[in-house]
Amino acid sequence: MGALTRAVRNLSRRKMRASLVIIALGFSMAIMISIPAGIVANQASTQSLAENFDSTITNMQEEINKTSTLIECQTSSGSNMFPGRPSDMTPWGPGQEAFINETVVDEIRSIEGVKDVVPFLETSSNETTSETMTGPGGRNFTISRPLYTITGVCLNSSFIDNYSILPTNITAGRTLREGDSGVLLMSSNLTDYFGVGVDDEVEINGKSFTVIGVYEQTGQGRIETRTVYMNISDARATTGLEGNSSTLDVYAENTSDVDGITEVIEATYSELRVTTYKDRLSQLQNMQTMYNETLTNAQSTLSQTQAIATQEIVVAVVATSLIILFFMLYTVRERTKEIGTLKAIGFSNWNVMSQFMLEGMLLSLIAGVVGIAIGSVGAPVLSGLLLPSINPFSSSDRLQPNFPSVNPVAQGVGIATAVPDLQLMLLALVTAVLPGALGSLYPAWRASRTRPAEAMRYE
Amino acid sequence: MSEIVLKAEHVSRAFTMGKREIQALSDLNLQVNKGEFVAIMGPSGSGKTTLLNALGCLDKPSNGRVILDEVDVSRLPEKELYKIRRDKIGFIFQTFNLLPYLNAVENVELPMENMKKPKTEKRKKARELLELVGLAGREEHRPQKLSAGEQQRVAIARAMANDPAIILADEPTGNLDTKNKYEIVRLLANLNTERGTTIVMVTHDSHVASRTERMLLLEDGKITKEKQGTHVVKRASGKTKQNGQENVVTREEP
Repeated sequence: MGALTRAVRNLSRRKMRASLVIIALGFSMAIMISIPAGIVANQASTQSLAENFDSTITNMQEEINKTSTLIECQTSSGSNMFPGRPSDMTPWGPGQEAFINETVVDEIRSIEGVKDVVPFLETSSNETTSETMTGPGGRNFTISRPLYTITGVCLNSSFIDNYSILPTNITAGRTLREGDSGVLLMSSNLTDYFGVGVDDEVEINGKSFTVIGVYEQTGQGRIETRTVYMNISDARATTGLEGNSSTLDVYAENTSDVDGITEVIEATYSELRVTTYKDRLSQLQNMQTMYNETLTNAQSTLSQTQAIATQEIVVAVVATSLIILFFMLYTVRERTKEIGTLKAIGFSNWNVMSQFMLEGMLLSLIAGVVGIAIGSVGAPVLSGLLLPSINPFSSSDRLQPNFPSVNPVAQGVGIATAVPDLQLMLLALVTAVLPGALGSLYPAWRASRTRPAEAMRYE
Repeated sequence: MSEIVLKAEHVSRAFTMGKREIQALSDLNLQVNKGEFVAIMGPSGSGKTTLLNALGCLDKPSNGRVILDEVDVSRLPEKELYKIRRDKIGFIFQTFNLLPYLNAVENVELPMENMKKPKTEKRKKARELLELVGLAGREEHRPQKLSAGEQQRVAIARAMANDPAIILADEPTGNLDTKNKYEIVRLLANLNTERGTTIVMVTHDSHVASRTERMLLLEDGKITKEKQGTHVVKRASGKTKQNGQENVVTREEP
């Protein structure tokens, strides 16, 4: 017959009363649990944001290092940087774009230090799609954009082998090879859209092609989503752009040749936008700066949230302790005679004190379990109500979904959702005993001071 | 000369009620020998309960000494007193004071709470005591499933849990019907004669008191009469014994 058994029996003696108090405490505890859960979720989201940023930067850095001899030449209007444009503007079409002809390609190839020139023809499909987007400030606008991009690649096997000019993550079929004609490589979201698979026929700008392979779009680097890759000659035939290219990947023999070659190209062909690894590095640095700002924002929001959370937890602990304090005080008053009896038959002050401390803590512990139950269901709601939401993208208008390299990061992270995990629950259970101990300290002390002569009270 | 178990020397206890001071016990002297069964009688407000509280270490006298088993308990601090209450004294209350959420055997075990004994031994002892008070087979019953008489038996078993030097009973039959009243008194008398348990019982019931070997009459905080067997001894303040023949007459309380 231990003190614990007595505590359990005592609580179960007045079930209704104990239940009501436990429910009240449970809600209080649920708040105590949900807030840390929210904080943990926010921390995790900030953490994963930072990790995503890091890996993006690392990937780009690697990419840049690998392509230190690459000089990209694009016609200035042929930019794929902003694939959307307001619907009230003229639709997309080959007519709006400028192209590079064969002569230019040959001339560039003959510049000293140039190793290879890989021509691409990137052009938009005739088919378009409209979508409504919400921009900064809640303004809605509809944009019309080409359904997909057609990329004609020069299928020279030495190019395919040496340079990354084709998507690498093929999920079905095979990639393109030298000599392929009338076939294409399609992104998986496009095969889904068209409802086709490998070996199926698909019509591109009125011409029929066989799907030879499907690739999974990574959304990173220059490999665009929603793109069909084909032999450049097929692309030219399809779009009526015989002999034209939109982009040239110029490879220098050595990195040290890059500056010289760039100088010559820029001087000769003012209509070409030339990008070298230096530009890419500075772009990377800009991106890094922006990421850092975003992270700083997220972290400062997080620390504000933590400050608020600390206050709220303190309030919850105090509230819980007060409920227990009043409940236990009432219990002690009500059981004066019983306590007197216990002392009269030889219970020490400590025996009595620990008995009531135990009862308070047990009550608190049960309430903790109830609180966890409420919290595990209601944590996202509760923490959403009690904490300011952390969404780094709302604080920075510069990180819009259009920004190609940030978009996937944003999608991967999303808004933090508070889900209390097992560890937190166990921790909560342990800390749930705290208000119990706190709240029953004074009542238990009062109980222990009960005069044994109270046993003689006749009620 | 029989061994003295309990001795009260010049014990006074005053209470202040508002501005008035009430002298509940005044210069009281009392001596209980080992193996005695003593009844303390007296009208309402004569200080019976106050005396029992003082003797049982539930309360401290304002003046005087209480010596229990050769220890002056009136000077002990609380942290020593609980051991005295636990080891030397067994208390029986008018209202039984059993814990309603514990069954009979658990109630009897309570005084052994902080005794360093194995659980099984405590349980065995409690069962034996319940058997002794005639409650074999009722060990697992909670108080509300027991009759008033049975509840008081549990309380008696509980009072004996730690083999106390003395049992103090406060109106043990006050809440019982006639049949149970005599059974409880008989049980106490048996414990006294068969086990040699020293018992001091406060009662205002002369029939109950007549079962004891010594009766003390308490009036206005003093013992005014004493009856040993058939002898009545008048103990007016300061004066020594006077022989008398008639019984101690007490008024029934209203």
